[in-house]
Amino acid sequence: MSLASNVPEGDLKEKWTKRLNDINLVAPNNKRLYNVIVVGTGLAGASAAASLAELGYNVQSFCIQDSARRAHSIAAQGGINAAKNYPNDGDTIWRLFYDTIKGGDYRSRESNVYRLAEISNEIIDQAVAQGVPFAREYGGLLANRSFGGAQVSRTFYARGQTGQQLLLGAYQAFMKEIDSGKIDYYPRHEMLDLVVHNGKARGIVTRDLVSGEIRRHTADAVLLCTGGYGNAYYLSTNAKNSNVTAAWRCHKRGAYFANPCYVQIHPTCIPQSGDYQSKLTLMSESLRNDGRVWVPKDKNDERHPNDIPEEERDYYLERKYPSFGNLVPRDVASRNAKYVTDEGRGVGETGKAVYLDFADAIERRGRDYIEEKYGNLFEMYHKITDENPYERPMRIFPAVHYTMGGLWVDYNLMSNIPGLFVLGEANFSDHGGNRLGASALMQGLADGYFVIPYTLGDYLGGEDLDQVEGNEEAFEEAENYAQEHIDKLLNVEGDKTVVEFHQELGKIMWDKVGISRDEEGLKEAIKEIQELRDEFWERVRVPGESANYNKYLEFAGRVADFLELGELMAKDALHREESAGCHFREEYQTEEGEALRNDEEFSYVAAFEYQGLNGEIQHELHKENLEFEFVELKQRSYK
Amino acid sequence: MSNDNMQFDLKIWKQEDGDSQGAFQEYHMEGVSEDMSFLEMLDLLNEKLIKNGDEPVEFDYDCREGICGACSLVVNGIAHGPKEETPVCELYMREFEDGQEIVIEPWRAAAFPVIKDLVVDRSAFDRIMAAGGYISTKTGSAPEANTIAVDKEDADKAFDYATCIGCGACVAACPNSSASLFTGAKISHLSLLPQGKHERKERAVRMVEQMEKEGFGDCSNHAECEAVCPVGISISAIARMRKEYMRAVTES
Amino acid sequence: MPSLVDAARSQVGRKILSGITGILLGIFIIFHLIGNLTLFGSEQAFNIYSHTLESMGIFLYLFEIGLVLVFLVHAYIGVAIWLRKRKRRPVGYEKYSSMGDPSKQTFSSRSMIFTGIILLIFTVTHVATFKYGDTQMITVDGTQMKDLKALVINTFQNPWYVIYYIVVMILLGFHLRHGAWSAFTSLTMKGGTKTSAVVYTVGTIFAVLMAVGFLFIPLYIYATGGTGALIAS
Repeated sequence: MSLASNVPEGDLKEKWTKRLNDINLVAPNNKRLYNVIVVGTGLAGASAAASLAELGYNVQSFCIQDSARRAHSIAAQGGINAAKNYPNDGDTIWRLFYDTIKGGDYRSRESNVYRLAEISNEIIDQAVAQGVPFAREYGGLLANRSFGGAQVSRTFYARGQTGQQLLLGAYQAFMKEIDSGKIDYYPRHEMLDLVVHNGKARGIVTRDLVSGEIRRHTADAVLLCTGGYGNAYYLSTNAKNSNVTAAWRCHKRGAYFANPCYVQIHPTCIPQSGDYQSKLTLMSESLRNDGRVWVPKDKNDERHPNDIPEEERDYYLERKYPSFGNLVPRDVASRNAKYVTDEGRGVGETGKAVYLDFADAIERRGRDYIEEKYGNLFEMYHKITDENPYERPMRIFPAVHYTMGGLWVDYNLMSNIPGLFVLGEANFSDHGGNRLGASALMQGLADGYFVIPYTLGDYLGGEDLDQVEGNEEAFEEAENYAQEHIDKLLNVEGDKTVVEFHQELGKIMWDKVGISRDEEGLKEAIKEIQELRDEFWERVRVPGESANYNKYLEFAGRVADFLELGELMAKDALHREESAGCHFREEYQTEEGEALRNDEEFSYVAAFEYQGLNGEIQHELHKENLEFEFVELKQRSYK
Repeated sequence: MSNDNMQFDLKIWKQEDGDSQGAFQEYHMEGVSEDMSFLEMLDLLNEKLIKNGDEPVEFDYDCREGICGACSLVVNGIAHGPKEETPVCELYMREFEDGQEIVIEPWRAAAFPVIKDLVVDRSAFDRIMAAGGYISTKTGSAPEANTIAVDKEDADKAFDYATCIGCGACVAACPNSSASLFTGAKISHLSLLPQGKHERKERAVRMVEQMEKEGFGDCSNHAECEAVCPVGISISAIARMRKEYMRAVTES
Repeated sequence: MPSLVDAARSQVGRKILSGITGILLGIFIIFHLIGNLTLFGSEQAFNIYSHTLESMGIFLYLFEIGLVLVFLVHAYIGVAIWLRKRKRRPVGYEKYSSMGDPSKQTFSSRSMIFTGIILLIFTVTHVATFKYGDTQMITVDGTQMKDLKALVINTFQNPWYVIYYIVVMILLGFHLRHGAWSAFTSLTMKGGTKTSAVVYTVGTIFAVLMAVGFLFIPLYIYATGGTGALIAS
């Protein structure tokens, strides 16, 4: 299969308009004849389902949570970017585009990123109209703040809960369509397989997480909005139920998985306190606007941070990157935190943390100002660590946060399987090798509100789809496969728990496919993951039965998929012999220790095709070359 | 150094499914660190149970950082446990005394039937939201964002209500199992904003009616809901709901 | 939009109605207490006051019918909420505690049905004792009237009666403590945390004043054998 990115010809600024001018349309009264499945109810899924239902399509929406409102987009804190230029500081669509593509270290598709920047303003309009309570100035107009990787203030925010408010906006629009009868809603349902009939995505197989019942659902198109795969690392800032299963099962049905090694490690998380830890908590990167990052100059300095005098502190980001200082992009901040802790200058009981200090900001702007801006983050930190960040510096450490990789999609957000669309974090598009802060919310909503309503119509209007009933062979086969997979998990009856396997996988991934990688480690990781996977299928113990609510059975299926994905992530990282964005290979760095890209050989999207359903897992690599017609590739520098 | 070997006697509600009778089961837990979250303590219990070939305890959770609203445990008689403005996922074992008994129950309300053990069905909240908990804006039809000015004070107040995480602790703690705080918070959020004023009457009436239809009880102003709310939503939400409702029925 | 009748039967309407009737009853007991305190006025003040009320004729009947209606509506809503509440949580908690401040859940709030039913029963006995009790006729300034004062003083020579009254008045205090707060909260439709604290404190003071005011009378009469210095004779 070839990788046709399907990008319109012409000037960058005209491409999206041109596409809109050319697409097929579905007449208003014909839309009710089409059924669309939307899996996931985060920003991308809820906004897509609501918008498509408004247009008149029959939407079936699925989520694994007990309510659509709990999708993990809810946890995004900092904000959402848009090129409104309200602060009058010189922002333009071009600048937002340029910052995003540069931040992504030139590993994303120009045309997609430009479209994202173009749409960004409409998202703010939409959210405000829905009643999203963004922060405002005293005059009643919207407020902005600055964020990492940009020199303008273009981030809109709702205290530290921007994701929550935007998701509730989309969720409310979604509930409105449930009320109007255009959305059939299936909470507590997990997608276990994609049904590909006559070469096209025509349905899914789900498990009802309450009754355990396996069911088939038919449709004319399937939209996958299932988020990222950061939980491959066990510990991440993702919610406990976030997983790759839906995407991975689509991958096994033929959808290409692109750039799996691009994983963002967020620099400002609350450090781990023990082995029992089940997840990591992010502290919004907006904290770096006012907090200063430092470690002691000496190794193993065990003094209380407030007792360490100014001259014995190393504000290493300000020292190394004078022009961006504490606001360097996430990958740079994370890597540097790893370096200083590897040197033995880390702080706290575990030595795996650095300080984020607000003393200066509190002195300069007053405690009230800090409280107004970050009050809830400070409270959260205090609750978790039992330390008061108004009185002593926070301890922070990087944690897996976001995955730029995902299923490959063309400009229309359609995967290489016709009829399977992938939106939001689940696709690989817009962020290249690294995502800038406040861009995830932007992308999820852009895809759902303002891209898919058009491109889905283009597909449906242009295809001649035969009727499916759900009893075709492909449905039969998919349902049987899902059931067999569950039975297989339950029948191992081993002696190790699912969580133990997940933790072991996470450790391999963090140590060897983490912040920085090298050939030797990656090769070891591949081998260790393969061994762990074999062990999993011999020794895993899944309690309970399938015909009932069974959380550990759900986890088992997800961990089984992570054990396959992890290997692919390592393989991708191994084959990409360059450093780009969050993918940092020790062998490929500048003399100053910065990521060294190899544009000659690696300026492409690595899209992997799954081969073989059982036994050895093989992948074939397909390359989509990234052509940069409009921007000049530069070595990123935040000095 | 922190205490890594706390012990607890747990008394946990176990119920096979919605149709079964439930009962309490007792477990003794050792080796609990004071830096563990309450849910991590239950994870540890489940690891031990699974290794022993026993059934784990089912409970709801997702984000584990206090924002998704999935976690829902009544700990020693208090929804989300003893720490104020803290959901149970952000409750740490340091809040408990070494050796103490901890009773863990599901949210109990007719409108929140038990699914299994400590997991309940809160879809009634979704249906209240579907009965008008939104502003009808079609995608693409929104005006330029700054053409709608909102007083900062109103925007801040609206946010205070909009911050509801939909966990249902208000219902669980209310002696009458009333959902007034949840419903009131959404009505208040939307009615405070100029965008939300157009549908305010219908919204208030429909949401209040749906709340009753779902089988939630009357509000008797105990204000227990405000006390247990993990995000500190004030009962002024209930006052605003009443005002919106009365406005709707008295102004034609 | 629902009709006013439907609205009155909704959760919000019921609460508003309960608040309105509660406040009316509250106003009634304030005047009742003021009236009672005429026992401590001049020798015949109480009897003149009672006689004046009784002389209002049709107005008194209308007032009484209105009062009975208000009382019954208030009681009906209270009982209905309580009956419904049991269905709203069929399986109760093994262990239940209040979180404490800013919760207003107290013995007062949880015992409204109990204190309310006691007050209902009490009211019937109270009316039977004093409205329809045996009285002598006396002449004051040339006007014939019932000597209710003597009835009150005689009645409260019985220690059981006094205990009964004191206990019920304490319960009234508890009922009013939550009731005053709740009615104001329902009716003012305001309720920030600070406002709530003020309303609750004022409501508590009101409840204590009423309870103490009412129970002081039987207690004083009993303690002094009806001949205390405060009672003119």
